[in-house]
Amino acid sequence: MDSFTDIFQQAFALVVSGDTALWTIIWVSVKVSLTALLIATPLALIIAFILAFTRFIGRRLIISSFNVLLAFPSVVVGLIVYLLLARHGLLGDLQLLFTQSAMVIGQVFLCIPILVAMGHAALQAADRRAWETAITLGAPPWRAMLTLMYEVRFALIATVIAGFSRIISEVGSAMMVGGNILGYTRNITTAIALETSKGEFAQGVALGIILLAIALLLNLCLVFFQGRGQIHS
Amino acid sequence: MTDLLTIQKLSLQYGAHSAVYVEHLVIPAQGCLVLSGENGSGKTSILKILAGLIAPTSAQFSWQNQAYTWKKIKPILRNQVVYLHQHPYLFDMNVAENIAYGLRQQGINKQHITEKVKEALAWANLTHLAERSAKCLSGGEKQRVALTRARVLSPRLLLLDEPTSSMDQQAKAQTYDLIRRLRTEALSIVLTSHEITQADGLGDHYFTLQKKEIVSNSLATQPSTAQQYHTA
Repeated sequence: MDSFTDIFQQAFALVVSGDTALWTIIWVSVKVSLTALLIATPLALIIAFILAFTRFIGRRLIISSFNVLLAFPSVVVGLIVYLLLARHGLLGDLQLLFTQSAMVIGQVFLCIPILVAMGHAALQAADRRAWETAITLGAPPWRAMLTLMYEVRFALIATVIAGFSRIISEVGSAMMVGGNILGYTRNITTAIALETSKGEFAQGVALGIILLAIALLLNLCLVFFQGRGQIHS
Repeated sequence: MTDLLTIQKLSLQYGAHSAVYVEHLVIPAQGCLVLSGENGSGKTSILKILAGLIAPTSAQFSWQNQAYTWKKIKPILRNQVVYLHQHPYLFDMNVAENIAYGLRQQGINKQHITEKVKEALAWANLTHLAERSAKCLSGGEKQRVALTRARVLSPRLLLLDEPTSSMDQQAKAQTYDLIRRLRTEALSIVLTSHEITQADGLGDHYFTLQKKEIVSNSLATQPSTAQQYHTA
């Protein structure tokens, strides 16, 4: 087994070499997670808005449920989606299992709770005068909703970044419904798990470095937007 | 003088607690009504109902002498009435964009909006603040921008909730000046205040909320045809 230093040297060499297999894996990760985020965000923010600005029976239960779902293990989400998409599952006829679409579905389910919970917190804290002002100035409710979201945009951007961080780094769902197929459904996290199990640590560490770089970048964005939000509040 | 809005037997309740009760309130088509009352007497609740922002528990409404249910009058109120909070909310945009906000909702073309905003800024002597971020204005400036943003929509009824609270004398004087100028226009104003008196010469009519109730402001010009409404 190579020394720790050797592994890191090989990993850095792989990252800078522009290795096609490595960058294909990274591309799959980014593509799947961004697609899931694009699908989940509008839906989750509308749910968050309804929970923050309307009153109905069962509202608190729904809020609590989303908070509980935050702690839902990704492998369990993967299992549920697997059962739905398997040949004899409810959506088996769609033949989506072990495709990028299946990975997207899994990540949408993983992403929505965090987007709803954090989005709800952001919108709940928004100044209600913004909503009333938009309405009294003639905005229809959906435009007033968009105005309100604009007013708390920094908190909502932070929410979206947190959602992306959650799904780009998950392994359970991607492994179960994607199948870890090289060049197609193998993403950063499933590749790290596979390479490590094979004893090929250099590629695993190289992918880990990329994942950490993405996480660092996202967190810098998060700090920036949270700071902007505080300045404007 | 014709009546713009008549309200009878308006009641707002939260469970068993009565937040406000209005036996009879008439708002003429032009002029300024000053509604006074202690803090927590229900002034803001009345204004928010008049703006269509919160639903009363029960009420009878008549708009230009035609009876309406709450469901029917709500869109009219939202289109024809503008409500200003005690501390007006300005969106996180510049002053000109804030004034243009309501106009954009009406689907007016961009060039026309630009012209109307320019004219409105000049009317309120705010032209020098057009590009300034609304979040960076003083309380008095915010109130003047909010008044201008409301006026540019040409509402039939303007509701001002304590427009000069927590203002220094100079800001108060500037706000009073704008309200006096608004009084000369073809709109009606309802203004709540615990500090404005008849000596300020702002109002045409004054009435007071006592124990969360208005019995009547005695301004009815003709028999009411208001229609009973109950949400409960």
